[in-house]
Amino acid sequence: MTAEIDTTATPSAAKGPIDRAAGMGRRWLRLRGTLGVLVTQLVVLAAFLAFWEYATGQNKAAAFMFGSPSAISKFLSQMAYDGSLWRDTYVTGLETLLGFFVGNCIGTLIGLSLWYSRFVSRVVEPFVIALGSIPIIALAPIIIIWFGTGLISKVAMSTLSVVIVALVTSYKGATGVDPDQINLLRTLGASKFQIFRKLVVPASLTDIFAGLKLTVGFALIGAIVGEFMSSSEGLGHAIFKAGSLYIIPKVFAALVATIALALILTFAVGKIEQLLMPWRRQLR
Amino acid sequence: MTEVGGMMQFGPGATTAPVPPLVVEHVAKSYELDGGRTVPVIGDLSLTLGEGEIVSIVGPSGCGKTTLLNTLCGLLAPDAGRIRWHGREVAGQPQNVGYMLQKDLLLPWRTALGNTMLGLEIRGVPAAQAEDRCRAMLDQLGLHGFADHYPSTLSGGMRQRVALARTLVNEPDVLLLDEPFAALDFQSKLLIENDTVDLVRKGRRSLLLITHDLEEAVSLADRVIVLSKRPTQIKAVYDIALGADRRDVISVRQAPGFSDYVRSIWADLDVVLQ
Ligand SMILES: Nc1ncnc2c1ncn2[C@@H]1O[C@H](COP(=O)(O)OP(=O)(O)O)[C@@H](O)[C@H]1O
Ligand SMILES: [Mg+2]
Repeated sequence: MTAEIDTTATPSAAKGPIDRAAGMGRRWLRLRGTLGVLVTQLVVLAAFLAFWEYATGQNKAAAFMFGSPSAISKFLSQMAYDGSLWRDTYVTGLETLLGFFVGNCIGTLIGLSLWYSRFVSRVVEPFVIALGSIPIIALAPIIIIWFGTGLISKVAMSTLSVVIVALVTSYKGATGVDPDQINLLRTLGASKFQIFRKLVVPASLTDIFAGLKLTVGFALIGAIVGEFMSSSEGLGHAIFKAGSLYIIPKVFAALVATIALALILTFAVGKIEQLLMPWRRQLR
Repeated sequence: MTEVGGMMQFGPGATTAPVPPLVVEHVAKSYELDGGRTVPVIGDLSLTLGEGEIVSIVGPSGCGKTTLLNTLCGLLAPDAGRIRWHGREVAGQPQNVGYMLQKDLLLPWRTALGNTMLGLEIRGVPAAQAEDRCRAMLDQLGLHGFADHYPSTLSGGMRQRVALARTLVNEPDVLLLDEPFAALDFQSKLLIENDTVDLVRKGRRSLLLITHDLEEAVSLADRVIVLSKRPTQIKAVYDIALGADRRDVISVRQAPGFSDYVRSIWADLDVVLQ
């Protein structure tokens, strides 16, 4: 039996110091690239804020209409000081997370299990398209009648804005599995359930996570729209109230908190993706 | 569906004439197109694969070689004819048959070891025992030290070796390989061909190898079957008598008579050059 291995391959275990140095060099280049992007982004943001501050500083009416970075930060620190910033962010964050979780669980479960039966998925398809085309804001009044004005109705709004997207992306992932790969498992004697568990589910993870990243925003929109309709707390409530009182910098202050929330949630999903799909880190 | 005569052969002491692992009798297969038109792909095909025998199948591209292989291992149903594994017609997938394609079909989320363990896992072999067997198989195929690598970090040749390990670790009686080495560079190809033949002959396994590489077909096989264009039939059969050590596919290529076989088969294929 030969113990030879392909000469074309470079086992990393046998990498020499030169290879390792080259690897470090490449990593440094990549880091420098990321750093360059980050610095440019900060410069653009700073320039935008400076222009905003300058333009609204010249004109009282403009300051009233558009707020200004300094006024926004004043409101932010005031809201942080009186605790409403944390309270509102917590409430909206909780609604978003719950809606995101419930919507994705239900949607992904249905989407994946539709793989099982071509018949059922064909029956269900037009209904899914019909449900997906309903603007969720149109459902808000009914949701409030059904679920009241508390947490549950916002979670329901958030769930509804997530569930169809999750269903469609996970179904797309499940049906996109290479039929040759399914055949291979069949020749290895796999049952339909084994094919589902060992092949279809992990193969769909890439699409499922694409859906998760997309639905972070949708879940947040659902929660905020719910708060707009009727609420006593949350960032949507803060935005709505400040807006109706014409306190525009405060509207922007609550928006900044909303954006921060979206960024944190998206970042968290990305981290979970890396944890759950370690093989993707070795690509590149 | 069970063939009674075939069953008898499994009885104790009934081993006068060993039952060939695979007998194909008058198999036909056509595809139904969307417009309702049917395209006959396999016309009428019979062949026998004996125990420990290596048979290569060559034929013009699109003549139905892959269709034949998928039909044999129960992924497609034949329109007519009989396929008997160890004397029996089986519904669904036959047992103890290894199947490998040009695409390595490795699961990217499993390491080389994890991919190799797939078949044993499916059959419920205890994990520790499966892992030992798989590590040994990977070592045998020159992949020592790569068991914990993900496929994305392996070269094409090594990935195909992992695919071979995944096939062989289940100890199949019969291997059905569909152009398994076609995507590899010449050197990797010779090495993996050599290892394949060695393991197949040592284990007294049978191998049905589809290939478009005529030198590969002749250097590996005991018999080469040439197929005609669609609807495909057997056009010619060559018993390869090269005398040399048939476990060394590299020296076989130097044996007298080798290039005569290749030339005759090439002529049979009747390739029209534009
Ligand atoms: N699923 C299918 N439906 C319809 N036609 C097919 C299908 N698969 C293969 N064919 C046709 O059958 C013929 C034989 O295909 P194949 O078995 O892949 O040939 P080979 O492997 O010899 O190149 C080709 O003409 C191909 O277009
Ligand atoms: Mg083919």
